[in-house]
Amino acid sequence: MEVVREIELKADPEEVWEALTDESQLEEWFANDVELDPTPGGRGVFRWDNGETREATVESVDEGERIVLRFDDDGVVDLRVVATDGGSLVEVRESTPSWSTAIEFRALAACAIR
Amino acid sequence: MRDPVDAVFSALADPSRRFVVETLATRGSATPTELAAGLPVTRQAVAKHLAALRSAGLVEASRTGRETRYALTPAPLASAVDWIEEVGAAWDERLDALRRLVEPGDKTPRSRK
Repeated sequence: MEVVREIELKADPEEVWEALTDESQLEEWFANDVELDPTPGGRGVFRWDNGETREATVESVDEGERIVLRFDDDGVVDLRVVATDGGSLVEVRESTPSWSTAIEFRALAACAIR
Repeated sequence: MRDPVDAVFSALADPSRRFVVETLATRGSATPTELAAGLPVTRQAVAKHLAALRSAGLVEASRTGRETRYALTPAPLASAVDWIEEVGAAWDERLDALRRLVEPGDKTPRSRK
């Protein structure tokens, strides 16, 4: 099961990459309190004000382009940055292994006909 | 045995079957007669559609007396839909916040540093 989002940003890819990997910048948009070592095998701890905490390991990093986090609940967050004419495109994929493919398609079908 | 994903796709390819799924989603459950009332097809045709939806794992039947009621197979489907919606909504919010962080506001000149 996977959720995919894309956003175009009027900002340089380098700047966006910083926002995706720097602890204090992540605290501005991703979680309220962030510890992250953005290197392969590095650990991340993300805390939200509602009491939720998620911990992750950095699965891979293509410097400036892509970082993949594997959360301890086996969810995966894959963040990519691509340079565009007007700035950057960020693509997010969050996936979870919690549901089988068959159920995934049923869920998508259910969403589609809502 | 067919691939379950194929089964779901072909089950939902038919507009009458989508109507059945929609009706069950809104009403909770229904009998073939009730479903046929909303469709330009016979009760027998509805029964066939229900059989197709059942073999795709989308609906289940329960018998009370002489009546068979059909409902959508519930829990895993609902929680999977919830997951898609919740995680999607969380990312929509986060990406808006990311935009506010990295895009220069009206007051800030485009090129800083």
